[in-house]
Amino acid sequence: MAKGLSGKVKALFTEIKTHWRTPAEGKFVPYREYKDILIAVGSNYTAAKTLEFITFAASCYLMMYHYKLPYLTFSVINIINMPLGYIWTLVTWLVADNLGFLAKKTERKIFTLYFSLIAIGLLLIIGNVTALFDPSNRFVVYMNSLEGISCASAFKIFGTHLLYTGWAGARSIFWKKKLIPKYGRYKYSLYSDFIPKCIMVVLIGWLPFYKIDDVVTRVWVANLMFAVYNVFGFDNHLEICTRNISPNVRERILVRSYPIKLSHIFHSILAIILPVIIGALRYEWADINVFRFVIPITFITSAVLTMVFAGRIRERIPQPPIDKKVQIRFWDGIFGVMRNKYKWVLTIVNLLDSLGNGMLPFVTILYLYTFRLSGLLYSLIVALVSFAGTPPDLFAPYFIKRFTYKQLMIFYQMSRAIGNTVIVLSLLFLGDRLILCGTICVITLFLLEVCKTVPATASYDMEVRINDYQMYLSGERLESFSGVFGWFTGPITSFVGLIIPLLLLRFGFNSNWDVLFIDESRIKIIVIPIIIDIAGYILMTIPYLFWDYTDEKQSKVIAVLRRREEVTKALDENISEKETEDEREKAEVMTE
Amino acid sequence: MKTKNKPPMKTTEELMREIPESDIWTYRIEGLQEPQINRDHSHSAGKKAATVISLLVAISLSIFFSVRAVHTKTYKFGENDDGTYELIKFSNPGNMSGIDIDFANGDETKPITVIHEYAFNCDDKLETIRIGKDVKEIDGKSFYSCEKLQAFSVDENNEYFCDLDGVLYTKDLSEVICYPIGRDQYLRDKFGYEKELTNEDDGYEAYEKDVLTYRLPEQVKKIGKLSFNYAKIADIYLPEGLETIETMAFFKSVTLKNVITVGKDGEYPSLPEGLLYIGSDAFSYDQGLGYVYIPSSVTFIGHHAFWDTVYKQSGELAGVTAICVAADKDTFKEQVHTGDQWKPEYDYMLFKKAVEVLYSSERESS
Repeated sequence: MAKGLSGKVKALFTEIKTHWRTPAEGKFVPYREYKDILIAVGSNYTAAKTLEFITFAASCYLMMYHYKLPYLTFSVINIINMPLGYIWTLVTWLVADNLGFLAKKTERKIFTLYFSLIAIGLLLIIGNVTALFDPSNRFVVYMNSLEGISCASAFKIFGTHLLYTGWAGARSIFWKKKLIPKYGRYKYSLYSDFIPKCIMVVLIGWLPFYKIDDVVTRVWVANLMFAVYNVFGFDNHLEICTRNISPNVRERILVRSYPIKLSHIFHSILAIILPVIIGALRYEWADINVFRFVIPITFITSAVLTMVFAGRIRERIPQPPIDKKVQIRFWDGIFGVMRNKYKWVLTIVNLLDSLGNGMLPFVTILYLYTFRLSGLLYSLIVALVSFAGTPPDLFAPYFIKRFTYKQLMIFYQMSRAIGNTVIVLSLLFLGDRLILCGTICVITLFLLEVCKTVPATASYDMEVRINDYQMYLSGERLESFSGVFGWFTGPITSFVGLIIPLLLLRFGFNSNWDVLFIDESRIKIIVIPIIIDIAGYILMTIPYLFWDYTDEKQSKVIAVLRRREEVTKALDENISEKETEDEREKAEVMTE
Repeated sequence: MKTKNKPPMKTTEELMREIPESDIWTYRIEGLQEPQINRDHSHSAGKKAATVISLLVAISLSIFFSVRAVHTKTYKFGENDDGTYELIKFSNPGNMSGIDIDFANGDETKPITVIHEYAFNCDDKLETIRIGKDVKEIDGKSFYSCEKLQAFSVDENNEYFCDLDGVLYTKDLSEVICYPIGRDQYLRDKFGYEKELTNEDDGYEAYEKDVLTYRLPEQVKKIGKLSFNYAKIADIYLPEGLETIETMAFFKSVTLKNVITVGKDGEYPSLPEGLLYIGSDAFSYDQGLGYVYIPSSVTFIGHHAFWDTVYKQSGELAGVTAICVAADKDTFKEQVHTGDQWKPEYDYMLFKKAVEVLYSSERESS
């Protein structure tokens, strides 16, 4: 047996050595790229996870302990930005799904729009528009009654929205055109955003805007600061890139299950070290040095590693060359995605999932307010729970082969409903026995994480498959145009998303998170939103009953896509050869 | 038993060969929809109009309901069974620094008798609150985190509550309900201090006595829930008859240095003899505290009662570095119900370690 094992190890070693630079037959990814994925995706994932500490949301520690903005204000800002957001997304999709390559005339028009938005935005931020209004006007009175907002600040918030849209939009076209031909559609933005993001991460901890005494001013200034910060992204683009690393479905799952999963170890290690470092600070999570030193150093180190190893990771979608790609017109894009049945199913699922929008991060509350965890113990529990997902992920290929996507997703939603019911019951009946209640919650969270991993991997893979199917339907993946579903669901989710914040306000949750130390308030603040969430999980099983996209259908879709690629490339080569011949003939004639 | 033999799946290459070159953009896979690439939508006006209209309706309805939902009235009242009213929520329109709680909507036929929990949650503008004659129920959390609140005044005809120099009590002074968070500003104005002084400033001793010291009347038996949370006091004098310190009573009173009991035979440090109950989080985060003595009368100590009162400064422990207990270990364990993590804990070898409990201790002399 030992001989068999050593033989297998030897064979694996030979296989890796042989195909270090060139992939095996039928495969597309050489093993050297696996090594790059391990380091680069690990660093990119860590950097992106580190950025989760800095968000314009109530759950961000910077907001929680320093800015202390009223909870409902975040929802109010969303409502202010919502109507125009629909218009901007039209332009964004057009740009994104054409990969930034637009007709000259269209490009000029879009640039004019974006630069006008920047100018108007700046005017609204700098000027005081309310001076033009009668203070007793109903609109002014209404705006002044909003939580954390006044009429004057609402205009500045609106101006910030315009400035952000114009700036981010113009940048996007510029960098897409410049970088996508070289780096591909998924990872290009890492190259344009790396430096500015590093600068912003440092600034956000050092700018002392949280010391502004007036809450209304603090709200709009924080909103502006985060808008500028959000112009530059550093999401986990490399992992998204690896989801499209091969047209071979099995190879994609292999990459996802091994190098990608292993790469997350970087973050797991950091998730242990970071709370220990933070726990050593005078005020722990409430210490501003978390944002001045700990987060920036972590982010910049991870970002630098990402950039060093990102170079060789490539996307390999079967597609015609960029200059021969299908041009997507607006209504083609809209109707194209709306014909995709599977996107409708996922949209309904997401809509039902929004029932839990606006709830506070339950796990954070459990660790910080129920358990009062900090330092190594905090790290170990967080690591234990997040590690729970790793072993099942190694078996993901087996589960995905053995069970259908429909079965996996229904199991996932039911497991979430049952797990959360256990948590609710323990909070309600054992709330005053902190250790016992907390232990039950942590065990349940551990099991929930175990149950989550395989469905999550299946979902990532299905997302790519559905985009392949979209490419079969429309000639392009139309990933941005898929946002049209958000048009329909957005109004509903933004309204539904107000239910929980309004309930929390009634239970005493506002800008001061210390209310969570009051046992009876904490239980209400946690339990009621979770019950709403459980209802959502149960309902979410229904749309999955209509899922019928099988492996066989996917193989056929890939065959069609590869056939298209083959034919268009051949045509392209014929044309080039013909052009060369014509040029040669012309040159001969000229010489004669 | 019959077995159903499924034909083997074709390879991608086999499938590719089945697709004619001329049909690459229109080839339809069985069981899936037909591709529609570069299709002319000029005849789909109806579909386009339906899409746009349904979107506009959805967006308008959403904005309408959202705007209604986030709009908060300055006062929200509820009617009680006895025809009186409860003040459920006050939302400061941004310019109110004082408020009278007497009648709902100013209507004298609608007296307010109850103030709901979190009615004034996190208000950062109110400085004074006047409580009318009919109010008979106030929740301990009603004035939670009102940072600027300097003083209460209670109508002298109120049978249930009264104020003592801006601090809210039950009428018989047996329970302190709320010590306003911003009372230090009121006292600075009263004693003529222009700004906050620190212990490095001249005249700090007098400042501490005038502004940062508070004496509870001798009738007080109970310190109410959250009554002194965030209070800017350095010295608190408790009466010997005190029986209960409620949940979060001194939560995050970070300037609190000395708890002194006023007994019949003079003053002594820390908690009074006769005290029975120390609620959960009663002294949490009070890192100014140094000495804690639990008298033998205590029967209940809630969870996290002294949480985070110890810390490390230049490698040395500071704050509450030990808890002194009058009873011996066995008696204490038998007699006192203690909640989880009631003792302060400090960082020790990457983990947390609770401070020592010194049983059978003698109280320090004042």
